[in-house]
Amino acid sequence: MNTTHDALTIENLVKKYGEKTAVDGISLSIPKGSFFGLLGPNGAGKSSTIHCITGIATITSGRILIDGVDVQEEYKEARKLVGLSPQEFNVDIFAPVEKLLDYVGGYYGMSKAERMERAEELLTRFDLQEHRKKKFQELSGGLKRRAMLARGLMHAPDLLILDEPTAGVDVEQRHDLWEYLREMNKNGKTIILTSHYLEEVEALCDEIAIINHGKIVAQGSKEEFVKDGSSLEQSYLAITKGDTD
Amino acid sequence: MRVNWIGIYTMVRREIERTFRVATQTLLSPVISAALYIFIFGYVIGSNIQEVAGVSYITFVFPGILMLNIIGAAFASSSSSLYFARFTRGVEEILVAPFSYAGMMFGYMFGAVLRGVLVAILIMIVGLFFGAVTLANPLAFLFYVATVSGIFALLGMFVALWAQSFEQLTVLNTFVITPLTYLGGIFYSISMLPETVQFLTRLNPFFYFVDGIRSSMIGISEANTGIGVLVILGLLIGLAILVTYVFKIGWRIRA
Repeated sequence: MNTTHDALTIENLVKKYGEKTAVDGISLSIPKGSFFGLLGPNGAGKSSTIHCITGIATITSGRILIDGVDVQEEYKEARKLVGLSPQEFNVDIFAPVEKLLDYVGGYYGMSKAERMERAEELLTRFDLQEHRKKKFQELSGGLKRRAMLARGLMHAPDLLILDEPTAGVDVEQRHDLWEYLREMNKNGKTIILTSHYLEEVEALCDEIAIINHGKIVAQGSKEEFVKDGSSLEQSYLAITKGDTD
Repeated sequence: MRVNWIGIYTMVRREIERTFRVATQTLLSPVISAALYIFIFGYVIGSNIQEVAGVSYITFVFPGILMLNIIGAAFASSSSSLYFARFTRGVEEILVAPFSYAGMMFGYMFGAVLRGVLVAILIMIVGLFFGAVTLANPLAFLFYVATVSGIFALLGMFVALWAQSFEQLTVLNTFVITPLTYLGGIFYSISMLPETVQFLTRLNPFFYFVDGIRSSMIGISEANTGIGVLVILGLLIGLAILVTYVFKIGWRIRA
């Protein structure tokens, strides 16, 4: 890991779908080791930004660097540095969970021994051992979400992007997952979290940015968002409502 | 950066495992279809037909039946695999992984070629029971099986990206591949055709696929081998470049 760069640098990112501008000139720097919350209403541009970072979407203009590596010019190197747990289940629904992990590990160039060891670790960590032979489509919503997380972590990326990672996950599992994420962050992983559960963002993140209409409308430390006795939710609503108005 | 060999191997392994997961559809179906063709056209009808191009009808027709099924298997493998991955967005697993665009193309192509080869082996076994299998030039045989499988694997990938529905996925197969294959001389020698139709047949690239594999098996060719090899390699390389390019621009897979 290069220590001289931010974990993620976004410079004037624009993403258009035809005539529609989803991301409108965002610039952002996320230092290594951050637990960063990316908030915004539906359609604000969060997922589009994430898709540009990970390669799911093309970039209209601007530049994205992961640990100093350009995601367009050095895309293969950049892909290794980032892991994604997406909002939607983008997966072969007929494949068993253990196979999903095995295949993804292979895609990232991991040897068979590395894949087996890592998959065992993740299946255990996310309580998926008894479900490992089940097809993805046979899992409950919460189990699917955990399988997606395990898949995103398979190649042990330095930067982890979690797009609504606890949607459909029950309270106990959500708190268990929070502990795991805190532990990973403590061990040096940079995490970007988008969530509609603002108490989750408040509990986990140290830095927060709010996107609306494709632009960053507020950014700062968590403390800045919850000062004067306001909750994050109150601050968020005040900012997005004011911005919409 | 080095080639992601493990990644490409994993794509191929995944496709082969998928092939065996639905073996009735992917392996058994073409074998039964080929066995029926061999039995009816080669054995029942063929026994009442004089020699064609100096060999028994079953020997003449078997390479064409083999090629028909190889083409179908390779095309079905890559088109269904990639279209389904688009449909479920599972293709994003490939997009976010450290593959070069050529690596993505090779991963899908090799998986489909291997299915074509598997189907070829199974049909050869069936052909042995009917005494229809001869191999005049095994290396040329492998060349034709691998390259023609490659062409239809690539074509299947392009169609999988182009298609917006399951119906469109079958359009090319129904209206182009199947008619041109049947008109490419599977069941007859072009010497049986009027001269004008012979000329038109020589413009059909499928004629060179069928003639190539036939010449490698029975040692008799009705086409110019050099032109045939050029047509096959030209299509293979041209389609490989096209598919790599569409992966690069993310046509219909990257938003």
